[in-house]
Amino acid sequence: MSEFDAIVVGAGPAGSSAAIKMANAGLKVLLVERGDPPGTKNVSGGILWGKDLSQIIPDWEKTAPLERFVERKVTSFLTADSEISIDFKTLKFSTDRTGYAVLRTRLDQYLSKKASQAGATVITGITVDSLHMENGKVLGVVNEEDTITSDCVILAEGANPRVAIKAGLRQPPGDDDVALGIKQVYKLPEATINERYNLRGNAGFAGEYVLSFLEDDVYAGGFLYTNKDSISAGVVVSLSKLRENGKTRSFDIMEKFVSHPFISRLLEGGQIQEYSAHLVYEGGYSTMAKLYGNGYMIAGDAAGFSFSNGMVIEGMNYAIASGIMAGEAAIQAKKEGDFSDQSLSRYGRMLEESYAIKDKKTFRGIEKVTWSPLVHRIIPRIAENSMMKLFNETGEPKDHVVRILLDSAFDQGISKSDLLIQGYRLMRRM
Amino acid sequence: MKKVPLDIIVMVKQVPDSQEVVIDPVTMNLNRSLTRNVTNRADENALEVALSLRDKAGGTVTVISMGPPQAETTMYECMARGADRAILVSDRFFGGADTYPTGLTLASTISKIGKFDVVVAGEESSDSSTGHVGPGVAEFLNIDQITYCSHVDYKDRHVIAERELEDGTEVVKTPTPVLVTVLLNSNFPRRQTLRRKIDAMKKGFEVWNLEKLGLPPEWVGVRGSPTIVRRMRSIKEKERAAKKFDLSNLGNLVSELYEKNILKLEED
Repeated sequence: MSEFDAIVVGAGPAGSSAAIKMANAGLKVLLVERGDPPGTKNVSGGILWGKDLSQIIPDWEKTAPLERFVERKVTSFLTADSEISIDFKTLKFSTDRTGYAVLRTRLDQYLSKKASQAGATVITGITVDSLHMENGKVLGVVNEEDTITSDCVILAEGANPRVAIKAGLRQPPGDDDVALGIKQVYKLPEATINERYNLRGNAGFAGEYVLSFLEDDVYAGGFLYTNKDSISAGVVVSLSKLRENGKTRSFDIMEKFVSHPFISRLLEGGQIQEYSAHLVYEGGYSTMAKLYGNGYMIAGDAAGFSFSNGMVIEGMNYAIASGIMAGEAAIQAKKEGDFSDQSLSRYGRMLEESYAIKDKKTFRGIEKVTWSPLVHRIIPRIAENSMMKLFNETGEPKDHVVRILLDSAFDQGISKSDLLIQGYRLMRRM
Repeated sequence: MKKVPLDIIVMVKQVPDSQEVVIDPVTMNLNRSLTRNVTNRADENALEVALSLRDKAGGTVTVISMGPPQAETTMYECMARGADRAILVSDRFFGGADTYPTGLTLASTISKIGKFDVVVAGEESSDSSTGHVGPGVAEFLNIDQITYCSHVDYKDRHVIAERELEDGTEVVKTPTPVLVTVLLNSNFPRRQTLRRKIDAMKKGFEVWNLEKLGLPPEWVGVRGSPTIVRRMRSIKEKERAAKKFDLSNLGNLVSELYEKNILKLEED
């Protein structure tokens, strides 16, 4: 007889969601988190997209520690001197809210408290060392000298899933699978933020930037999100490019981002409150291994469920969705008294049907484009060049806009046919 | 010789994480809203002393703390490290206490527990750094005390402790009952284990209030505190002087340091 129906490793959004789902159904759940309190070891850009939480916490939009809802979404190319943006604001977002800025220390504590209230035993400050396995079946977890038994284990341990790797259930992430995220939180008065970002009330700004001004062939994306009275600023750096290059230091990229003339004025006067770094899962669909087996399921970042391409960074929504599905599969398994690979394959099927996997399939291979010279170097330069020609009054007769675009490309040493091929690839992946 | 089990009491305090402490520039108080709370690190060393004495002699380790309800995380943490029992002394009457009523409250908690051989405390707390409470409790209990211990051992109803002094160490042997205070970083606290933490959550810890201790309300908390904080001010850090010297002309650096009496030349 096992001590618990399910043990969840990691109290981030995936793990806590799974625990809430299972505890609500009356399962005996143990949720173990190495951070104390939960969230202190976790980093994310900080926008929670989607409404998956409604499934387990119907009133989360009223009770969760949400900073601001996204009203204004900016995607920009930053060159050394210029910023070329799509700046989308809509009043529609104030009624149909889709994204919220969150701070993870607060959100993760809120979620783990919900798990505890639902009846899960929540243990913090403890690291699970390994899985307890017999004949390929997971039967619990091991910490120090002790084994804690359970009918199944849900591994939601984040982007570097050490327990899953140790048990041979996941491959260690390679340089192409993960990027490095670095983040700072700047404290600023609420009124200053509202004025600077053109916001009212609890409306917020989410900006993502392609940092095409970086030297030495290093590719990175940046982000700025507004919280109530602070700004989350950060960069996501391609690890493979960083390693190839060898001399650029990741924190210099962070410095370069926040001191860019158009970024620094958005952060001016802010006091740094937090500085953190974390791996970000980047790999596409092809890197996702089997996510369940005899007595185990893998959810969240540990399963590769995040999506970042230097322009849109998502993860917490997939984490919550996959956590809930793993929880659901465990509930069914408990009903049938069967935690075998066959039974838990239900989790795999639910994932296949969900947007989590569908997004991965739709954007299969997108990381090859979004971390390409086209996005990080060529497009920004063409755009800057074209804008200069469009808007700069030189007294010369103006060209047709298409002409300007093509000439700008030519100035950058790119042939028309090459531009068309690259552009077609981009469109196809998007 | 027959083994005599020891009943050990450890006094702990929950403090704001000193690495994250922020002073509010307006009120001059610690801004506790931003910081997470942790167990005072010297108290973890004290707990480790208690646990290793129990390993050797057998017996029990009881952790006591005076603090607000959120100190529960510290109680569970101590149990997960190996304490048998934890008592949180918590009541709004205890709020705003300085070191005098704190010592009194903890001493009366220990009296209420009854039987004990050794009381162990950290040398001081990282948030107020007075070092008063341990010795205060010993005085209230009217027992011997050994302060600033780097190593504590037990043999034949005696505690043998090594004290760290300015010019060396001294070894003191005292019969039980005795109170010892333990130096920060004097040992490696054992880790919490999952098994013990699950058991601790199941078992829970005790919460004692003023009524349970039976102390008059005017003896505890802010009313029982003789200390009055009249004024606080922050210290402005002085800008450090910096000067550039050319590597190829280090002689200038040497002579300047010599002139300023920072550098001395070996006498002939």
